[in-house]
Amino acid sequence: MATKVKSTLFSMTLTLLIVTAVAAGLLAIVYKYTKGPIKEADLKKEKMALQQVLPEFDNNPIAESDTIPSDIEGDSFKLVVFPAKKGDKLVGVAIKTFTMKGFSGRFDVMVGFLPDGTIYNSIVLSHQETPGLGDKIDPEKSDFSKQFAGKNPATFKLEVEQDGGDVDAITAATISSRAYCDALQRAYNAFKSLDLSKYEN
Amino acid sequence: MENKLLVSYSPHIHAQSASVQRIMLDVILALMPAVLFSFYLFGIGAIIVTVVAVASAVLWEWLIAKYLLKRKPQIWDLSAALTGLLLAMNVPSNLPIWMVLIGTLVAIGVGKMSFGGLGQNIFNPALVGRVFLLISFPVAMTSWPVPLKSRMSYLDAVTGATPLGIVKDGVRNGEKISDLMHQIPSHMQMFYGVMGGSLGEMAALLLILGGIYLIIRKVISWHIPVSIIGTVFLFGGLLWLINPEKYPDPLFQILTGGVMLGAIFMATDYVTSPMTPKGKLIFGVSIGLLIVIIREWGAYPEGVSFAILIMNAFVPLIDKYTKPRVFGTMKTKKQN
Amino acid sequence: MAKEKNNRLEIFLKGFIKENPVFIMLLGLCPTLGTTTSALNGLGMGLATLFVLTMSNFVISLIAPYIPSKVRIPSYIVVIASFVTIVDLVMHAYAPELYKALGIFIPLIVVNCVILGRAEAFASKNNPWDSILDGLGVGLGFTMSLTILGAVREILGAGEIFGINLHIFKGDGILVFVLAPGAFLVLAYMIALGHKLKKRMYGE
Repeated sequence: MATKVKSTLFSMTLTLLIVTAVAAGLLAIVYKYTKGPIKEADLKKEKMALQQVLPEFDNNPIAESDTIPSDIEGDSFKLVVFPAKKGDKLVGVAIKTFTMKGFSGRFDVMVGFLPDGTIYNSIVLSHQETPGLGDKIDPEKSDFSKQFAGKNPATFKLEVEQDGGDVDAITAATISSRAYCDALQRAYNAFKSLDLSKYEN
Repeated sequence: MENKLLVSYSPHIHAQSASVQRIMLDVILALMPAVLFSFYLFGIGAIIVTVVAVASAVLWEWLIAKYLLKRKPQIWDLSAALTGLLLAMNVPSNLPIWMVLIGTLVAIGVGKMSFGGLGQNIFNPALVGRVFLLISFPVAMTSWPVPLKSRMSYLDAVTGATPLGIVKDGVRNGEKISDLMHQIPSHMQMFYGVMGGSLGEMAALLLILGGIYLIIRKVISWHIPVSIIGTVFLFGGLLWLINPEKYPDPLFQILTGGVMLGAIFMATDYVTSPMTPKGKLIFGVSIGLLIVIIREWGAYPEGVSFAILIMNAFVPLIDKYTKPRVFGTMKTKKQN
Repeated sequence: MAKEKNNRLEIFLKGFIKENPVFIMLLGLCPTLGTTTSALNGLGMGLATLFVLTMSNFVISLIAPYIPSKVRIPSYIVVIASFVTIVDLVMHAYAPELYKALGIFIPLIVVNCVILGRAEAFASKNNPWDSILDGLGVGLGFTMSLTILGAVREILGAGEIFGINLHIFKGDGILVFVLAPGAFLVLAYMIALGHKLKKRMYGE
C-alpha cells in the first residue's frame, strides 16, 4: 500500500483533525463568498413572479410585505400580501396563495390584483402536478392560467364550467384546474378583507 | 451455422395437442364478436385503429426478427397479430395512427422481442404497449368517443367520460354516488355494451361468450377469469356494503372498464400466467384485489392493466411455490 | 509504474467506453436515473460530478501517503464532501435554475460510488497527475453518458433538445420518457448499446 504512516491512535486522530479542519476552513471561505449571491438568487424568483403578476411598480413589495390569516377547515394558514406602488399611488396587490386540493397535494400560486379587485395576472410558484396533465397550470406549458387575466372574480365565477363556473378547465385535468381556482378564490377572499387605504400614503 | 431444426420458443405446456398458431387463432376467433360489435359502436375509427394495430404489430415483429435479432420471422404463429388486436381493444377509437404505431412498436419491440421473443417475455406485450401509451399520452388515451354518436368520424369523434371516470371524478369532488347514477348507463346497457370506453371494454356479454368458447376449446382454463371477476365482485361488494355512497356496487365494478377483457383475454396469456391451477387462483385473486384497490384509492379510475402487469412480475415466484410434487417423491422438509 | 506512464492516454480514454461508469460499470445509477430528464440537467449533473471527481482524485492522491490506512475512508469522504458542498453552494448562487432542477442529487454526489470507487481504486495508489487524468476521463465518460441519456429522454419526451423545440410533436411528446419509467427504459437500451460498442472495439 501507498501509505507510509502506521495506524496509531495519535496518528489517526491527528490526520482526521487536520483533514476536517482544512475542509472546514475551505468551506467557510466559499460560504462567505456565496452567501450574498445565494440570498439574491432565492429572492429573485419571488421578485420575478411579482413583476409578472403586477403592473409596473417602483417600490420594494417584498420589504413592505405583510401576512393575513386564511382559515380552511379549522386550520389557519397565512397568506403573504405584497403591495405594489408607483410613486405614492397603490397600483396593485400581489397575494401569495396556495391550495391543498391539487392532484399531488399543495401548490403555491402568486396572484396580482388591481385595486378594484380585477386579476392582473397569476403564476404558479411551485407544484408537483402530473407532467402532461396538471402541470399545464404553468403558463409555460399552456394558456390555462392566462384566462384569468383581466377578470374580476366579483363577476367571473372562479369555478370550472363543469361545476357551473366560468373557468375553462384543462382537458383531462379537472382536479388541477379546480385546485387552481380554489387558490385564486382564497386569494380573492383575502383581498376583499384587506383595508387598501393603509397602503396609500 | 445453419439451424437444421427450427426451434420456436414454446411455453405451451398448458394446452395439449395444440400448435401456437391454432391457439392464437382460437383466441382471435373468440375476440371477433366483441371486435365486430365495437366496429358497429364506434364505426370508422374502430376499424382504422384495429387494422393499423394488427398490421403494424406484425410488421414490427417481422422487421425486428429479421434485421435486429437476425432470426427467421415467425409472424404466421399469429401471436403478433393477436398482440396488435388486443392493444387495439385497449385504446379509444379516436387514437391517432402514429400513437397506435408507437403502441405496437413498444408492445412488440420492448414488451416481447427485447426479452427474446414469444415465450420469453415477462409481461403481457399488449398491456406493456397500452400502459406505455396511457402514461405517455394521458389526454389522448382518456378521451373516450361516445358510442353510436359519431360513427362516421375518426379523429374528431364526440368524446365523453367512462362510467368509472365519472364515478371517480364525482366522488373525489365530494358528490354522492346516488347523485351520479343518472349520468352513467344502466347495468343492462353496460352488459350489452353501450357506454364510453375503449374498444374492448364494450359488451361484457360478447366477451363472456368468447371466454366460454375458449374454455370449451380447452384453450384457457376457468381459474383465472373466474377468480379475477369473483374477487372484484366480492371485494367491490364488501366496500359497497360499508359505504354505498362512496363505493359503486359490485355489478358496476365487474361490468365497467376492462375487467372482462382483462380477465378473459389478457390475464390468461400463456407466457405470462402461472402454470398450475392453484397458481392461477392465487394470480387471479391478487389481480382482482389490485383492480379494486387501484380503482378506489389510486390516481387512475381504472386499474386492470396495471394489476395484470404487476402480477405478471410475480408469476415466476408463484410458479416456484405451486410447482406440483413429482409423482412418487416424498414431500421434502425445508432444505434451504 | 513505467508501463502506466506509457498508457496515460488509455487512463484518460477508458472512462468513455471500456470502463464507462454508467453503461458498463453500472455505477452512480441513482443520479443517472433521477436527473436526466433533459440534456441540460444531465450535462449539469455530469459536470458537477466531473469537478468533484477530478478534484477529489487529485487531493486524495496527494494526501494518501500520509493517511493511516484505518482512517482513510473517513478522510476521503471528508475531502469528497467538501468539494460537493462547494459545488452545492456555487451552483445555488450562480445557477439557481439548475440547482433547483437537480435538487437533492447535488448533495448526494457524496455517496456516488463512482467517486469513492475511483479514490480507493485509483487515486490512492497513483500519482497526482495520473489521478487527475483518471478523474477527468471517468468524469467526462459519466458526463457524456448522462448527457446522452438526458438528450434521448428530452427528444422523445418533450420534442426538445437543450430546450430548443424540434417540432416533432404537436403538443406534448411521449411523456413516459421524462417520467421515471422512461429513465429505466432508455438506460436499459443504452446499457445494451454500450456493451455492444465495447465488444466491437475491445473484443470480448
